[in-house]
Amino acid sequence: MDFLATTEAAIAAWHGITPPNDAARRLATDLASTVAAFEAVRGSLRFEDEPSSFEAALQECKE
Amino acid sequence: MRALADLGLVEAADAVARRDVTSTALLEACLARLDAVNKIVNATIWVDRDRARAAAAAADAALAAGKQVGRLHGIPLAHKDMYYQAGRPCTCGSAIRRDFVPDITCTVVQRLSDAGAYSFAGLNMAEFAQNPTGHNRAFGDCHNPWNPPYITGGSSSGSGAAVASGVTYASLGSDTGGSIRLPASACGVTGIKPTQTRVSRYGVMPLSFSADNVGPLTRSARDCARVLSLIAGTDPNDPTCSREPVPDYEAALTGDLRGMHIGVPTNAFTNIAEAPVIEALEAALKVLEGRGAIIVRLELPLMKAISAYVAVISRAEAAAIHSQWMRERAADYAVHLSARLYGGYAIPAAYYVEALARRGPVLKAFAAEVFGKVDLLATPTIPTCLPTLAETDIDHGPPGTEQKFMAVSINTRPFNYLGLPAASAPCGFDPNGLPIGLQIAGRPFAEARVLRAVDAYQRDTDWHRQRPPVVPR
Repeated sequence: MDFLATTEAAIAAWHGITPPNDAARRLATDLASTVAAFEAVRGSLRFEDEPSSFEAALQECKE
Repeated sequence: MRALADLGLVEAADAVARRDVTSTALLEACLARLDAVNKIVNATIWVDRDRARAAAAAADAALAAGKQVGRLHGIPLAHKDMYYQAGRPCTCGSAIRRDFVPDITCTVVQRLSDAGAYSFAGLNMAEFAQNPTGHNRAFGDCHNPWNPPYITGGSSSGSGAAVASGVTYASLGSDTGGSIRLPASACGVTGIKPTQTRVSRYGVMPLSFSADNVGPLTRSARDCARVLSLIAGTDPNDPTCSREPVPDYEAALTGDLRGMHIGVPTNAFTNIAEAPVIEALEAALKVLEGRGAIIVRLELPLMKAISAYVAVISRAEAAAIHSQWMRERAADYAVHLSARLYGGYAIPAAYYVEALARRGPVLKAFAAEVFGKVDLLATPTIPTCLPTLAETDIDHGPPGTEQKFMAVSINTRPFNYLGLPAASAPCGFDPNGLPIGLQIAGRPFAEARVLRAVDAYQRDTDWHRQRPPVVPR
């Protein structure tokens, strides 16, 4: 199955949502660039990282 | 002599406080300006003249009675139509919420009201605040007052157009990927996206829990400072809102930039920039140097990571928020919006969590490297000359229109991921007569420094004082 077909099938199975128009299919195809961008930063995530560190970082980095 | 509608917010508020002008006169000036320009710019979704006139009369009566008044006493304002005000429409720019009337009032509008301001209109916006151009299928596209076939920027399109046209002295916009800074840039006004968590979002339409910000669009840095001083600060109704003390932003506007290091990125923000934008940026840097700033060219770290992560957070969160309507009423969204939401459902949860989990470490590493060398960053807000509404119309344009549409916000999104404060101020015009914006960003909670730099720039330039051709002469 190609990337778009896989994506459509996953969205239908997990969310019950079908492509509303052709532009949706085009933008879904463009998710391949998101995959590529994540491939480029693989290995960055550390075991201890977690979302709550962001608010602490705002405080730590302030003037 | 300038028309009343063309006064700055602080000028207007000070004139009312001195009793040089009445609130009623200001309101009537705004309504007259609205009537003169709105057929061209389409900046409003609803207007409540009767209630506004009653509020203006009450404000004038309070002054006449010698009552203590707030810092925006008697000022008529209009906001992006996504701020809940009890008993008033709040369409969120959408067909789906066309008839929605909230029963609460959001914290930020309440704080402006406590300072003496009142609302008279709900302004046009991108549907559910989700496009960077100002297209709107439900209420009609918003048009740029400088050249109507061109985009206003979005999603706070009506805010940008209305402030530029003299319809309102200031307007609250929202910024998840650039939605304050883009219309500020495109319409030639001044806007600031505060630090993430700086301003309460209680009672404000959600788009992305992690990246939504509330902030003002006005005609100057000083006007932004006045509004931000009033709306910023902790709110018991919004547990995500910071307890960081709110400084006196207006007091920070000294005009003195001596010793302030301003960084200009060499590896990002100008990759697709066009010549008129670069020329305007370089000219602006010279003005800042004239005020004592030291310009530093530098490479920014982690831009690939920021670009990867910023692409998934708001998209995944917006998809979740809209899932029920996407199942049941997808045809009620504009094509460009349902198309963008659709792809959000395919973003893996592990990607979303990684983007959120890396946000703190990326911010710390970015700040250590960048703000160890400079105090602020300066970039173009929009790197290209403005496109037309037709060139960015995904709903009716050919395949490939999406790329032009998404490129509009390429320079604003990184600061949403990092949570940094960033302002946009006018710094020139492109060959089509459309404004060019200068973006200034700083450390977390450095709004005072950001506004000081913009204010200093505006002391030596008059781009922010120019009025678009749509304004009657």
